[in-house]
Amino acid sequence: MRNGTDRLRAVNVPQPAVVELDAVGSPAKIEMRSAEFGMRNNDMQEPVTIEAVRETWRIDDEWWREPITRTYYEVLLQGGARLVLFVDLVTLEWFVQKP
Amino acid sequence: MSSIFGIYSGPTYYPTMKKTPHLTSESAACCWMPLFALRSETARRPELVAHPVALVASDDTRRVWQVSPLARRAGVKPGMTVSQAIGLCPALKLCEPDPVHYDEQFEQLIAALTAVSPVVEPVELGRVFVGTDGLEGLYGAPEKIVEAIKCGMRNVLNAECGMRNAECKGKRREANDPSRKFRTPHSAFRIGWGRGKFVAWVAATRAKPGETVLVPVGGEAKFLASQPLAVLPLDPDTHRRLQQLGVKTLGALVALPEEAVVSQFGGPGRRLWRLAAGLVSEPVVGRVVPEPIVAALTFFTPVGERGLLAHALDKLIDRALGDPRRSGWRVQVVRVRAELEHGASWLVTATLKDPSATRERIAAPLKTQLERSPPAGAVERLVVEFTAFAPGTAELQLFAHDASAAARAGRRRALQSAAREIALRIRRPMLYHVIEVQPWSRLPERRYALIDFEA
Repeated sequence: MRNGTDRLRAVNVPQPAVVELDAVGSPAKIEMRSAEFGMRNNDMQEPVTIEAVRETWRIDDEWWREPITRTYYEVLLQGGARLVLFVDLVTLEWFVQKP
Repeated sequence: MSSIFGIYSGPTYYPTMKKTPHLTSESAACCWMPLFALRSETARRPELVAHPVALVASDDTRRVWQVSPLARRAGVKPGMTVSQAIGLCPALKLCEPDPVHYDEQFEQLIAALTAVSPVVEPVELGRVFVGTDGLEGLYGAPEKIVEAIKCGMRNVLNAECGMRNAECKGKRREANDPSRKFRTPHSAFRIGWGRGKFVAWVAATRAKPGETVLVPVGGEAKFLASQPLAVLPLDPDTHRRLQQLGVKTLGALVALPEEAVVSQFGGPGRRLWRLAAGLVSEPVVGRVVPEPIVAALTFFTPVGERGLLAHALDKLIDRALGDPRRSGWRVQVVRVRAELEHGASWLVTATLKDPSATRERIAAPLKTQLERSPPAGAVERLVVEFTAFAPGTAELQLFAHDASAAARAGRRRALQSAAREIALRIRRPMLYHVIEVQPWSRLPERRYALIDFEA
């Protein structure tokens, strides 16, 4: 019998992505799994160009145990899709996440 | 008698035969018996034949629905109020409608036609199309095919009016007065044969009772040209406008340039023009006979109170929804039959615009009908039938709308049953509750979580 905590599954877990930066350090291209594009298979897609960064914000949380520091970018992809991604400033890894 | 509460444009599926393609046929025979309900009534009550007779409308018992030729001669017309009709014809015999009986008679007829051709498409009470493609090998030329159709119908109708063939022939010989003709149902069937349903239907309307009009392939335009405008499926406004333009026959309509008709009447104008020109050939589409889900209740004492009937309706819908064959399917067409005291009946059919598996949504149109046109007497037996279905959500038909709807209604048992079925079929937990964990959190993944739904 599993306990209550075991049975919980987080919703909206960040999904890893590979992001190329431009000269000023803003995201320029993104490569991620198909599921993030709403497709069923889980293959990596070809890199997609980021047309514009619409908004950025930063979150600093849980500094009292294991600090979480992220910079979020709301971007417009080539083709018009809207996406939110963030860089984990502790590990410098990129993720995609619904806001 | 039946009501349509919306038009569902998507596909209709039947659980038992969802992968069976529809059979179609381009060549069609249209079998048409005007006043089918009234003729069914007089066939089982021959004493009525010598009198002017009218059936009362089942949805408005103050009005007359179908009128026998004798009553029509006295000036009685369909749609008149009963008091007007009796004022015009004091000898008029008024009959309570028995839609269930008429439906059964029609179903027998369709079954007989199915023995002649596998492609049978009923349109309304008393009108049915029979696909005749490929029947040449069995019966021969179209004339022979039509003869086989007539023979099939004759057997049913003779049995229906309790007469053997020889007796019927004898009756036909002596039948010169309209009342006798009215009594022998097979003599009232008109058959039209041609390419496509429209041509066959127009041919049937041109046929005399008991006779056939055949339109040879290639001769559609010539046949249609002389037909009156009224054979087209026109709305009254378009009909009036065409009349004002001096267009009285299909030939006159076709003589106008197609584009001119389109510019006047839009897209429907093009269809009308093409129908009139014999360019549209709509095939007969064989119906797939669904296995209906039926729930019935016989009352200890006949019930007349609407509140009680509505309650019984709810219970029967619940029972039918609980049928395992309904799992993963939403109900699209629901029919309620009631057997009344003194042998009458009541019938309501509702086609749901949005197919549903929720009792309230299925019951709503039926209850509206119950309020608007209640049964004419106390109900002895009430039957709910689900006769057409649409699939549940594409993602997971098993779960479909029913479980979520059931959950909303607090019907936990139905939800648990759906969950168990899903677990059995896909062998891993796929159902979760969404629970709030830290809805205020700035970190999106901390706000909500999924927890297994345990049946």
